[in-house]
Amino acid sequence: MAPISGSDAEYFRDKARRDLLALLEGVRGKKNLVISQDLAGPIGLFVKFSVLQEYGVDRVFLLENANVDSTQRNIIFLVHGEKPHMVRRVAEQIKRLQHNGNVEHEFSVLWVPRRTLVSDKILEEEGIIGDVNIAELPLYFMPLEDDVLSLELEDSFSDLYLHKDPGCIFLAAKALMDIQQRYGYFPRIIGKGDNARRLADLLLRMRKELDAEERSGLTDLPFRGLLPSADTESLIIIDREVDFGSVLLTQLTYEGLIDEMVGIRHNQADIDTSIVGAAAAPQNQGSSSKAPPQPTPKQGLKRKIQLDSSDQLFNQLRDANFAIVGDILNKVARRLESDYESRHTAKTTTELREFVNKLPAFQLEHQSLRIHTNLAEEIMRQTRSDIFRKLLEVQQNNAAGADPTYQHDAIEELIARDIPLKNILRLLCLESCMSGGLRPRDLEHFKKQVIQAYGHQHILTFNALEKMELLQPRSSATAMLLSTGGAQTGTKTNYSFLRKNLQLVIEEVSEKDPEDIAYVYSGFAPLSVRLIQCVLQKPYILSLLRGGGSATATQASSTQASTASPGWLGFEDVVKSARGATFSLVQKGDDKAVRARQTISGNHTAKTVYVFFLGGITFTEIAAMRFIAQQEAGRRRIVLCTTSMINGDRMMEAAIQKGSFAKIAA
Amino acid sequence: LDGKPGISFELIAQAAYDEGRTHLATHLLNHEPRGGKQVPLLLNMEEDELALDKAIASGDDDLVYYVLLHLKGKLPLASFFRMINNRPMASALIESSAREGDMELLKDLYYQDDRPIDGSNVLFSEALNEDELQRKTEKLQLASRLLADSKDATVVLQQKLVLEASQLLKVQDALDKDLADRSEFLGLSLNETVFRLVRAGYGKRAQKIQSEFKMPEKTYWWLRLRALVAKRDWG
Repeated sequence: MAPISGSDAEYFRDKARRDLLALLEGVRGKKNLVISQDLAGPIGLFVKFSVLQEYGVDRVFLLENANVDSTQRNIIFLVHGEKPHMVRRVAEQIKRLQHNGNVEHEFSVLWVPRRTLVSDKILEEEGIIGDVNIAELPLYFMPLEDDVLSLELEDSFSDLYLHKDPGCIFLAAKALMDIQQRYGYFPRIIGKGDNARRLADLLLRMRKELDAEERSGLTDLPFRGLLPSADTESLIIIDREVDFGSVLLTQLTYEGLIDEMVGIRHNQADIDTSIVGAAAAPQNQGSSSKAPPQPTPKQGLKRKIQLDSSDQLFNQLRDANFAIVGDILNKVARRLESDYESRHTAKTTTELREFVNKLPAFQLEHQSLRIHTNLAEEIMRQTRSDIFRKLLEVQQNNAAGADPTYQHDAIEELIARDIPLKNILRLLCLESCMSGGLRPRDLEHFKKQVIQAYGHQHILTFNALEKMELLQPRSSATAMLLSTGGAQTGTKTNYSFLRKNLQLVIEEVSEKDPEDIAYVYSGFAPLSVRLIQCVLQKPYILSLLRGGGSATATQASSTQASTASPGWLGFEDVVKSARGATFSLVQKGDDKAVRARQTISGNHTAKTVYVFFLGGITFTEIAAMRFIAQQEAGRRRIVLCTTSMINGDRMMEAAIQKGSFAKIAA
Repeated sequence: LDGKPGISFELIAQAAYDEGRTHLATHLLNHEPRGGKQVPLLLNMEEDELALDKAIASGDDDLVYYVLLHLKGKLPLASFFRMINNRPMASALIESSAREGDMELLKDLYYQDDRPIDGSNVLFSEALNEDELQRKTEKLQLASRLLADSKDATVVLQQKLVLEASQLLKVQDALDKDLADRSEFLGLSLNETVFRLVRAGYGKRAQKIQSEFKMPEKTYWWLRLRALVAKRDWG
């Protein structure tokens, strides 16, 4: 992806930093900062602790620890204002400090991303609204990478699908409006899924509200009369519930596997020091000190590893299938060695100086190589285990469409061997999603087994999964698949139909030199990304369907028909058998102005396509989208947006009941 | 008035309301496209349901929740439930916020909505939070009683499982009293219980529990195998 000047990520990073610092400056003197846990990580994406210190921040506390002290007069709370219980917590702490402090504190609250009516009401009820300076910090998209923007709403998945709370859709709409106000309206909004539709409707509505605001002349807005954008091609919204299946599979790219096994949060992973060595790396200091709230005295020594594209090596590795990571590491090691060797040929002083100048870069690379070699080794050890293989086998068979009942013995064995509950549930949900529910008898059977094996508290877990429509009996009305031709009407994504009609299974995919996105799951193409291909790469999909059209022919034809047929055109019938609404909306503006603008800017260069994953995106999907972005590089720039990063475990955690019947340790 | 830009319907409506012409004011507000401006005025005019609907239409959860808080304070609970009942977004918001602290409200809501499983789940999670065995069992009994009347297959299964939970707790309590070898059984899952029994050498008791809870043979043998390995009992 060609990074053009002032990319979105850069813009958001800058804006967020400026906004935050301006607000900090507004509070005179030194101050203590209280951050809620779910903001501490994301803040680190755009501002360093040292910078905060320059702006007078003395100490940082976590809201959840409730241990703010009275060392400074000024206390600033930085908290998500959307959730009532968070607001209450802030109110409690303010009152606590008011009562037992011997200092008269100045309180400020920065609500992220906006001040809400509800938060005002709660502060009012607590009787402290008068003692607090309230401001808002409009943080929406956090830039994870140059091509990935995320709202980093960790609860968005459970909110959306378990509690049916559409709050994050609203925030998503706000965030996208931000982009529109910068570039002009998305000329076309394409989407799939009911929540996606809701998001699109909100975007249209907000545009109308903006127009009204403007016309009433009450507020003076800097962005008068927005037009359809000349730099963006479209916005594509994919609702997560269209394709739960892909998330449930174990991700098989390098970054995906790291996420599966250690978990990646805000571009960082906590990894055992026994694997990556003690944190001696000085170059990491700058970035890792930005989560300062507490010195993380966790069990076993963990070290934070930064995982983003600033690390050259990781950039090469992250999107590759894990099978070839060894090869890449090997190649890099060899090159590095020969680089080091080159010092022998340096005879003259200038040559030597040149070499010495490059030395820090070599050392950096060396260090990163060591980390990733160890990490890859550790992952390898786990992927070679008997249990991992069994899991993968069940998954692959389900994905390929084999009769799921043949897998039941294997699942039973895994339950009896007490592997982590998350993995079992992922298998069961996968079967339910892929084949329209389990047979009631089987489901009952598994329910009993799981509950006996992992505890009766998981009665609640199963109820939650059912509510999310992840694990259902086949008889249930909501478990039914969308049929093609049959009389009965279902609602769920019909994987068995789409498997054939969108070529989700590709047997002979090469992991070394991938020709199709199916490489990310070693043979299974994520449906979500396939759907996007139906919009962006129609000729390629068609050639796949006709039966292995050669790659060269595809490339040739795809250049011709890149803009000819927009939206879902040509794939309406296929897309219909995925869950939820299908739509393609055109946002029109003043025709003359549009044409005038077109002549000014000229019909040239690559336009941007925004792809929004509502309800989370996986690292495999990002890798697959990057693979597409590379193919489209000349014509399009693809920017990925999402509510949060997700994987199967996080999906299950939304449902799993954590309490147990054991005595609560005093 | 339609189609004339540059007019704030909110202001006109406010004026109309001040003049006492409520109906006209509501009518005028329908033309106001900005949800944030409509809703507070509608609440002022006591057009409760309309306010709620407009808030929902705006998609702004803050606005919806604000209306809900207002209404909850104002209406009797029953009519409040009736109002949110057919508006999924409203009831979802109430449910998720009640889960953060107002369990009684949830129970009432589920009772009125006739959702026995959800209702019993609330009691069930309360049982998890109780500290004493006695109280836990009581809550579980209550949870199962809620499910007792229905003949629906899923409800029946649910009830069976809830009863099983309290039965298991009883057995575990007895084990804790009998085998005072420091091992806590209470709160373990069935499989873990069997596993510990075998590892500690109480094969008979393990077998008894297996048959009592109808644990499948295969599971039992896997457990025994793993437990014996853990004990290094190769005999």
